[in-house]
Amino acid sequence: MPANDQIVFENVSKFYGEVLGVNRVNVSIPPGITSLVGPNGSGKTTIMNLMTGLLQPTRGRISVLGIAPNEPERLFREVGYCTQFDSFPKGLTGYEFVYSYLRVYGCRHQEAEDLAWRAIERVNLVEAAKRKIAGYSKGMRQRIKLAQSICHGPSVLILDEPLNGLDPLARAETIALFRALAQDGMHVIISSHILHEVDAISDQVILLSNGYVVAEGQIRGVRNEMQEHPMQILIRCNKPSEVASRIFAQEHVVEAQIHKDGLGLLVRTRDADKFYLMLNHIAMNGVGIESVAPADDDVNSLYEYLIGSDEASK
Amino acid sequence: MAVYKRSYRGYSGAYTPEWSRFLILTRYASRNLYRSKAITGFLIACWLPFVVTALLIYLNHNATILSMLKTSGGQLFSIDAKFFKNFLQIQLSAAFIVTAFIGPGLISPDLGNNALVLYFCRPFSRAEYVLGKLAVIAQLLSLLTWIPGLILFGIQASLVGWTWTIDNLFIASAIFLGSVILILVLSLLALALSAWVKWKPVAGALVLGVIFLGAGFGAAINGVMRTQLGHLLSIPIMFEKVLDSLFRLDQTNRIYSEFSPALAWLGLLGIAGACLYLLSRKLRAYEVVR
Repeated sequence: MPANDQIVFENVSKFYGEVLGVNRVNVSIPPGITSLVGPNGSGKTTIMNLMTGLLQPTRGRISVLGIAPNEPERLFREVGYCTQFDSFPKGLTGYEFVYSYLRVYGCRHQEAEDLAWRAIERVNLVEAAKRKIAGYSKGMRQRIKLAQSICHGPSVLILDEPLNGLDPLARAETIALFRALAQDGMHVIISSHILHEVDAISDQVILLSNGYVVAEGQIRGVRNEMQEHPMQILIRCNKPSEVASRIFAQEHVVEAQIHKDGLGLLVRTRDADKFYLMLNHIAMNGVGIESVAPADDDVNSLYEYLIGSDEASK
Repeated sequence: MAVYKRSYRGYSGAYTPEWSRFLILTRYASRNLYRSKAITGFLIACWLPFVVTALLIYLNHNATILSMLKTSGGQLFSIDAKFFKNFLQIQLSAAFIVTAFIGPGLISPDLGNNALVLYFCRPFSRAEYVLGKLAVIAQLLSLLTWIPGLILFGIQASLVGWTWTIDNLFIASAIFLGSVILILVLSLLALALSAWVKWKPVAGALVLGVIFLGAGFGAAINGVMRTQLGHLLSIPIMFEKVLDSLFRLDQTNRIYSEFSPALAWLGLLGIAGACLYLLSRKLRAYEVVR
């Protein structure tokens, strides 16, 4: 029985005729911010469309907070979807756009009006709300799309490339909004190509390549499981040569490079936990360690290790 | 791992009845239509035959005018099933034009703007979407067909009394049923073509093309193959046959008399079915990745 606070994909496949959309996807998405990461055509939008019930899986089962996507009346009360491309019926103002879709949801006039203004206020677009969307900038369009996806108070927010076209200020405000929504217990599912932002905002990631899930979970957890790519750790200390000689005797340490300035080294290890334990001993034995930081446990590195090689081979 | 306390509360207010949600689409689309002065003007002009016909009915029962004209039998002309069928047939031409102008603008902009996904990621089905759009054409064509038709029937009934009305109730039902069939077939045709051709003017031309070129092509088939089955490509002829049967008009000595009304019914049903199939193929919910 799928958990009622998770989005669950059980062995889900989707084929468009003979073309693979996604294959054998098994994931459970808890509340918080989850990012779908992968190159174009990797299946991100397909997964989002499956989640929202816009596509039916060829095989497998999907449950969104315990609701099957073939129950639209219940599902769409809980789901808000912000599409990747501009999808605006002609001639509407920003307010009308949000208001009219609330009416389609079944909200009465007064409630629709209140909810529309609340959502528009939340995306900071009140001043432009009565202007035609056709005259909006790219960033304003993104924000009004976001408003229509959150206006009915969904529990699951699905956002396809929501940060595209936003200027740095709007980007920071939008990320803060995602964080606030996630902290309230909402599922925020984001697809993005901007890896450093994914890294900064995501609680967990799902990495996709060619329709397959290549990794899922918290970024650091995923990184720890990648034994074939030793973890890189940067150490700034006063005696890098001594540290290098002591750690190099360990089996899990693959490489140690001393920095040119002689005040640090880069270590590659197959077992980060053992390495940190050993580093504690070294520090207690008189080596002054200024800082220790992992160099490749971010989404960028995961992408490079898990997907980058596939992409390069194409 | 981040721990989130669920403090978020979604909307828990009342909802409008499910059955009525398609009317939101109809309301917005209609509002846009009536903004166009040309369309409003044309719709008003389409009531001219109604005014003329109502005047004729009145004159036909006005004793002063009848005595002035010294008509034999006490009437200028006979007001019967054929009279009302002729009125409906005049309105049919207007209905074709209205459909060709308005129908293509209903779905193609949504497809062109990739907006379908916005409707379908709500508790809103494809059937409701089609119904919402169809209702736009249906209300306009109703204003041109059965509403004026039944008003004329009412005027005639009020002038001649209950006996005529009861004897001719089938005319009222023929006006209504014939109009409903016309509205359904034309609306579905316009929506289906508009769903397949995203460019509005081309879709409009295509609607007119299917209606009028289909008739020409059908006539050519009949001529070459020495058959009447070519009429199955002619929507106006099929409508005429269906109206003839509904208004209980004598089929002998009429044009296309060899083309059976049953075939005309089947032909219109087939067109409606084909349009529904085309709509179901084209109106897909998911976002198209370009």
